[in-house]
Amino acid sequence: MVFNVVNAKAALAGLSMGLLMTIVLTFLCGITSLTAGIFVALAKMSKIRILRFAVTCYVTIIRSTPLLVQLIFIYFALPFVGIRFGPFMAAYIGLSLNVTAYLSEVYRGGIEAVPKGQHDAAAAIGMTKSTAMARVIFPQAFRTLIPSLGNYVVSLFKDTSLASTVTIQELMFKGQIAAGATYDYMTIYIMVFVMYFMVGFPAIQLVTYLEKRMKNGYARKKMTPENGEVSA
Amino acid sequence: MSTSMVEVENLSKSFGDNLVLDSFSMSVAKGEVIGIIGPSGSGKSTLLRCINFLEKPNAGVITIDGERITIDSHSPSKISGNKIAHLQSKVGMVFQQFNLFPHMTAKQNIMAGPKYVLKEKVEVYEEKAMRLLKQVGLPEKADAYPEELSGGQQQRVAIARALAMNPQVMLFDEATSALDPEIVGEVLAVMRTLANDGMTMLVVTHEMGFVRQVADRVIFMDQGKIVEQGDPAILFDKPTQQRTRDFLSAILSHTD
Ligand SMILES: Nc1ncnc2c1ncn2[C@@H]1O[C@H](COP(=O)(O)OP(=O)(O)O)[C@@H](O)[C@H]1O
Ligand SMILES: [Mg+2]
Repeated sequence: MVFNVVNAKAALAGLSMGLLMTIVLTFLCGITSLTAGIFVALAKMSKIRILRFAVTCYVTIIRSTPLLVQLIFIYFALPFVGIRFGPFMAAYIGLSLNVTAYLSEVYRGGIEAVPKGQHDAAAAIGMTKSTAMARVIFPQAFRTLIPSLGNYVVSLFKDTSLASTVTIQELMFKGQIAAGATYDYMTIYIMVFVMYFMVGFPAIQLVTYLEKRMKNGYARKKMTPENGEVSA
Repeated sequence: MSTSMVEVENLSKSFGDNLVLDSFSMSVAKGEVIGIIGPSGSGKSTLLRCINFLEKPNAGVITIDGERITIDSHSPSKISGNKIAHLQSKVGMVFQQFNLFPHMTAKQNIMAGPKYVLKEKVEVYEEKAMRLLKQVGLPEKADAYPEELSGGQQQRVAIARALAMNPQVMLFDEATSALDPEIVGEVLAVMRTLANDGMTMLVVTHEMGFVRQVADRVIFMDQGKIVEQGDPAILFDKPTQQRTRDFLSAILSHTD
């Protein structure tokens, strides 16, 4: 028997707690990065040179190194210079710093892709640069970016498994504990696998659906029975 | 001159070493409608964009409704963003490509300026938007998104959006050039009404019929300078400059 029901039942509670932690971590880091990414993108496009330079350094360092190394550095290396974080803070900071860097590039691409005519039209009715960004440019960029942002959040969900290395008791960590206790790697990791899949699969379905909706244009936002949006 | 609405003095603008406006000067009286014609690349769009500060001139003086901005060739970037935004709010601009905000309905497009720039009250800008939609003949399209509107309808909404700022001057940059011939008329009709109501207008266009009928004065420009200007009937029928003659005959042979 490949799958041992007794071992599975014994591990279920622990693994469920792990999955909950995975979701909490994804949620907190997701919200943080989706927000911070906007400001990092704006900083990268700002007129202030030193700000642009600082942000470029940050993004480049994050993108050029593995997330695993970043997490381990924050949790295990920084204490040697007196910067100490608990496991949860270390994971939260590490994952958020990482995802923010990537999302800032996504945001920047989206903002820069808004046609010049939109900037002109906003300026022509007297909008300042910041009003134009908030009311005209960013809302258009954001809409086109929703599918990519969604994909990054799904990646984040999977990447939280690396937080097990800094002793966060998320799904992967709980799996390792249960596997070590029973030596039934097959049963335990089938469960871990399935639990990630149960969240990850609907999430990518949602992203695919959003992608399709984006292509429908703005008018489709109005929910009417005729365009089939109500039942969708 | 107290009655002049727009005053441009020695305006110069270059892109790299391409001198596009060469010490350009003109004065536009309040309520005057000026047609601006000239070959492609002669600097017509750049002139309008400088008057509305969408391009930063290299040098010159621009006075809008008594507010004077001097662009000094030594420090061309000293004017504050807020001052520019303020002047832009007094000058309406209509673009060849409409440039409506695609994520807003027709009504929301029109309300954008009053709401976010003039900070008017909800009742005020809602009422104003509906009145302007009626004025451009599209009251039933209030809740339509730009993608649901024809080119002519989009351009009429764009005109209403500009008018919602209560501009002192309206600039039209080839407002009908992107439209199918059969719908050019609906946009020109709106512009004609606006002119009759006393709006000060600078109209860059290839619609010579419109200029002849509506404009008080026509300016023919080439290579960043005024070649010839005057009453449209006179300039069209008896141009004094060879370049004007060449341009007009080329245009007229095209439109047949
Ligand atoms: N943003 C720009 N950057 C560089 N060159 C430009 C830009 N805008 C216009 N030009 C140049 O300025 C000249 C005048 O352009 P424009 O004002 O658009 O002429 P018109 O509207 O009369 O056709 C052209 O040679 C054009 O290539
Ligand atoms: Mg042009």
